[in-house]
Amino acid sequence: MSKPTRDDIFEKIKDLLAPYNKEKREISLQSGIVSDLEVDSVAVFDLVMELEDHYDISISMEMVSDIKTVGELVNCVNSLLEG
Amino acid sequence: MTALFDKYAPLKSRVDIMMKIGKDALGVEFDDILSATRGRIGNREILLAGTNNYLGLTFDKDCVAAAKNAIDEHGTGTTGSRIANGTYSEHIDLERALAAHLGMESCIVFTTGYQTNLAAIAGLAGDKDVIFMDADAHACIIDGTRLTGASTIRFRHNNPEDLDKRLRRRGEIEGGNALVVIEGMYSMFGDIAPIDEFLDVTHRHGGYLYIDEAHSYGIFGPTGCGIAEEQGVLDKVDFISSTFSKSLASVGGFCASRHPEFEITRKVMRPYMFTASATPANICAARAAVEKVKSGRALRDNLKARARQLHAGLSEMGYDLCADPSPVIAVRRPNEAVAAMEWNWLIENGVYVNLAVPPGTPQSSSLLRISLSAAHSEADINELLEAFGSLKSSQDKLMQEMAGKLSAAQ
Repeated sequence: MSKPTRDDIFEKIKDLLAPYNKEKREISLQSGIVSDLEVDSVAVFDLVMELEDHYDISISMEMVSDIKTVGELVNCVNSLLEG
Repeated sequence: MTALFDKYAPLKSRVDIMMKIGKDALGVEFDDILSATRGRIGNREILLAGTNNYLGLTFDKDCVAAAKNAIDEHGTGTTGSRIANGTYSEHIDLERALAAHLGMESCIVFTTGYQTNLAAIAGLAGDKDVIFMDADAHACIIDGTRLTGASTIRFRHNNPEDLDKRLRRRGEIEGGNALVVIEGMYSMFGDIAPIDEFLDVTHRHGGYLYIDEAHSYGIFGPTGCGIAEEQGVLDKVDFISSTFSKSLASVGGFCASRHPEFEITRKVMRPYMFTASATPANICAARAAVEKVKSGRALRDNLKARARQLHAGLSEMGYDLCADPSPVIAVRRPNEAVAAMEWNWLIENGVYVNLAVPPGTPQSSSLLRISLSAAHSEADINELLEAFGSLKSSQDKLMQEMAGKLSAAQ
């Protein structure tokens, strides 16, 4: 599998966010995951487990604690895939 | 410019909706606690079915006498920490009794259950270690991981295969170890961990297994040591923690280990070193309760029978229950507003259960959570079942009332 692009990662995150985004808000890189999309803190960690499994990476909880926006989550996954 | 409390505006509006529906479910005020199973609010006697009083020992005459005697002998408080004010003979006696009961080399007692996991996890995991934590772990476990410099990775709830996958994915931990943290019985759904399988996976990867048996110590196993004893693997577990505030009917907690080296953590655990030690009354009440646990087969048998009775009755009524029969029975409700409305109806009709809502619950679920006690009689469970039966038959009226209250609130 070729390395996914940042756009691929963004699309994947949007797919995974869909069930939690109950108000069907538009998702951009700037969207605050908790503040704008109103995903609760436990659900964010569940979403991260899905990402770990999809890309076969380990994302620790302290990394997640620093992530506020969808764009920051894209960056996090991207940097782990490069590492 | 924002005011200090502006950040709580979304939470405040959620609380305001709850208050329009009825009482504050997270701040119930009892006027009196009459026994292990009865309280009073105003003129109404309330059947307590949400206080985690699993063995019903809060008014046990030996436990009460031990606490009273401790106050007479050694005073009301310790006025400080064990590192500053020293250790009382009661602390040592309880640590030895618990270590002996569990067959462990070392046991340390703490001032509350919350501080127990906070202290022990932070004391055990260093910067180079990696903590693997069950996805449904209690807040005090999560907070414990935050006090460490260790990386923390979550694995799928009660799923040893998922843990195995994540341990493999993480690979060799250079200069450190894996600390796997699970619970025996989980507090919200009352579901039980396959400890034997978790032990196998953890030890195969060279890690250490830490089990919080807060909701299972005293309640499971032939001598009440918990789920690990029930599954016949207690001697292989690295660390067991628990609280005094459930089956032991006091306040405090302990962590025990088969590794004698655990003793060194007394010199590093901040929530142990920098807080007042448990009072003589709390320690002696817990010590008396440990003896009740050891000889408590009849209490445990009654608790199991009551759990089966309630689970069968609620299932028959068509309620959606989250797990097999256990001392915690969680009834899944469609959403937070319905659960809150029903919770209010129950307390107005003399039954106290817990309203449990996200993010404190797994799967973003809204629950009416019942915790049973060995002090509950068959008649008490029938009373609970009658209440849940009436709740079901009043459903349409209740929902109309709720719609009225919520639209009036807007």
